Amino acid sequence: MEGNIIQAAKFVGAGLSMIGALGGGIGIGLSVQGALEGMARNPDAYSNLLTNMILGIAFSEAIAIYCLVIAFLMLFVL
Amino acid sequence: MENTRKWRYGFNRWLVLLFIVLGAVAASFFPPLRPHIQVAPEVISGPLFSLPVIGNFYLTNTLVASFVVYLLLILMAFFVRRAVNSGELVPKGLAGAMEALLELLYNLTESTAGKWAKIIFPWFTTIVLVVLLSNWLELIPFVDSVGWLEPVQQGGHAAQQLLPGVFAVTAGEAASQGGFNVVPWLRVPSTDLNFTVALAIISVTMTQVIGLRTQGPRYLSKFINTTTMFKKPLFGAIDFAVGLLETISELAKLLSFSFRLFGNIFAGSVLLFLVGSLIPIFAQSAILLFEFFIGLIQALVFGMLTMVFMAQATQGHGGEHD
Amino acid sequence: MEALGINLGYVLLQIFMFAIVLVVLRQWVYIPVLGLLDRRSKAIAQGLEDARVASEARANAEKDAEKIIAETQTKAALMIREASERAEAAGREIKAAADAEIAKEREAAMQEVEIERNQILGELRTQVISLAIAAAHKLISDAMDEKRQRELLEEFFSGVRAGRVVVLDGAAMDGAMEDAEVTSALPLTQDEQDAICRDILGRAVKVNNVNFRVDPSLLGGLVVRVGDKIMDGSLAGQLQNLRQNLS
Repeated sequence: MEGNIIQAAKFVGAGLSMIGALGGGIGIGLSVQGALEGMARNPDAYSNLLTNMILGIAFSEAIAIYCLVIAFLMLFVL
Repeated sequence: MENTRKWRYGFNRWLVLLFIVLGAVAASFFPPLRPHIQVAPEVISGPLFSLPVIGNFYLTNTLVASFVVYLLLILMAFFVRRAVNSGELVPKGLAGAMEALLELLYNLTESTAGKWAKIIFPWFTTIVLVVLLSNWLELIPFVDSVGWLEPVQQGGHAAQQLLPGVFAVTAGEAASQGGFNVVPWLRVPSTDLNFTVALAIISVTMTQVIGLRTQGPRYLSKFINTTTMFKKPLFGAIDFAVGLLETISELAKLLSFSFRLFGNIFAGSVLLFLVGSLIPIFAQSAILLFEFFIGLIQALVFGMLTMVFMAQATQGHGGEHD
Repeated sequence: MEALGINLGYVLLQIFMFAIVLVVLRQWVYIPVLGLLDRRSKAIAQGLEDARVASEARANAEKDAEKIIAETQTKAALMIREASERAEAAGREIKAAADAEIAKEREAAMQEVEIERNQILGELRTQVISLAIAAAHKLISDAMDEKRQRELLEEFFSGVRAGRVVVLDGAAMDGAMEDAEVTSALPLTQDEQDAICRDILGRAVKVNNVNFRVDPSLLGGLVVRVGDKIMDGSLAGQLQNLRQNLS
């Protein structure tokens, strides 16, 4: 019984931790939006914007990945 | 209306259909199972030897896979060396592809790092190649699915003997007396935190080394900033605090590097397991394509972040931190 | 850490393996390939440079060829012009020589003809005089002796009376270095010519020389021209004057 409650708490915690991915998604969307607008206005800056956009996406995505890692830890490690 | 070639049924679509049917047949005999998922790499051998501080040394499946990756890289290096030393100005095949990739990466490095490109380039490219190969190991069949059969007390699956010594785990009612788990011989190195932490340590350490080498002792004033402390006490104190934050951010880079790669690839392989066990037919192919893309992006991001941090370290006070 | 599977031994092992691979890749791939890229870009630059030099050389050669062609063309034009000039000059010379020859021949022929005519006229003169005397003798029948008649007729034709030129009587002559021309109807004898010369020279000291011409249309008498002065003592002239006076 106690084990089942702990198991349930793990699942709930993992699910809750993934709420943090919201921020990463918003951040990635904003950065891609800005980069695409820049590319549309100035196609010459395409390659430069692309590399910087990918770097920015990586930074934003890291936040979501931290959440994912926490969720994995709850599910598979704890 | 030029070139009105008659549209015909191609050959490849029949191949795809054939494989979908074969997949359906195979899944009806041996339905894919949700494997046991664990973060730590599985040990696939007994203790090989013992070291004083570290303790017993076991062979893990990710270690084997990283051996494979490094062996592949060294083989590739050997072929490229032979092709380049043959004296041709335009190498063909593998060497030509390698040369094109290296040219691309070198131009990228040069546009970011300028005159220090020659120092930064080997680290950047090696990280990209190693991470790329280890990520793409995920796409090879039988990785993550072939290995020792390991008996477990709880859960597990029933095992069915196919040939002498060869078993297949099946969905069975074996849970009562303890079933079996598959311990794969090969597991993607990027899903092992040892691998990603090692790469992150290399990246961050070499960033400091390159900063020291190019800027000299002045580089250390980034972390212990006492230059303005005695002239303007208030701002000096703030600068000192900023220097401490820099130190912390260098440590945070370790975490972010290692967990970004690990999280992406581990999530990818878990996704593959889950999708494979839920929809055994065809769905995994789409995920594999996605994983191919993710692996490429993560390798480039790891390498480019390393390269950018190194370039910033050569240029004095950098601004961008993770 | 234990649950995450992070183990210092594995981390160190991964770092060592990475270092080995880095060194191997650096020695076997990066340095040769970057050297290759460098060599190739140099080769491309060299090729471009060579192409540029070759095109320059070609342009130079073209320019040279153009220059040579232009030179030869001007030279050829010059030679043609020279040759045509020379030919023209030669032609002109030949023509001039021919013209001169023709003129000389014609002059010679004219002189011959003149001499012949003068001779014929001179022979004719005595016959005319004889005929005139004979006719007059018949008409006036010995009013004068024959000698007197002959003298009168001689005077009529020669315009010289007693060694003096009739026309020149009373005429003032002051020309300097002029040519004198004496025209008579019939050729004059040498004596008459000498007399006329003497008379003219006696009046005008500076006369160069005296030419004698024969013009039968004068009918008789002399026309003496000294410089731009003409003294008309001819019968035709007198008849003309008479006609003018009468009309």
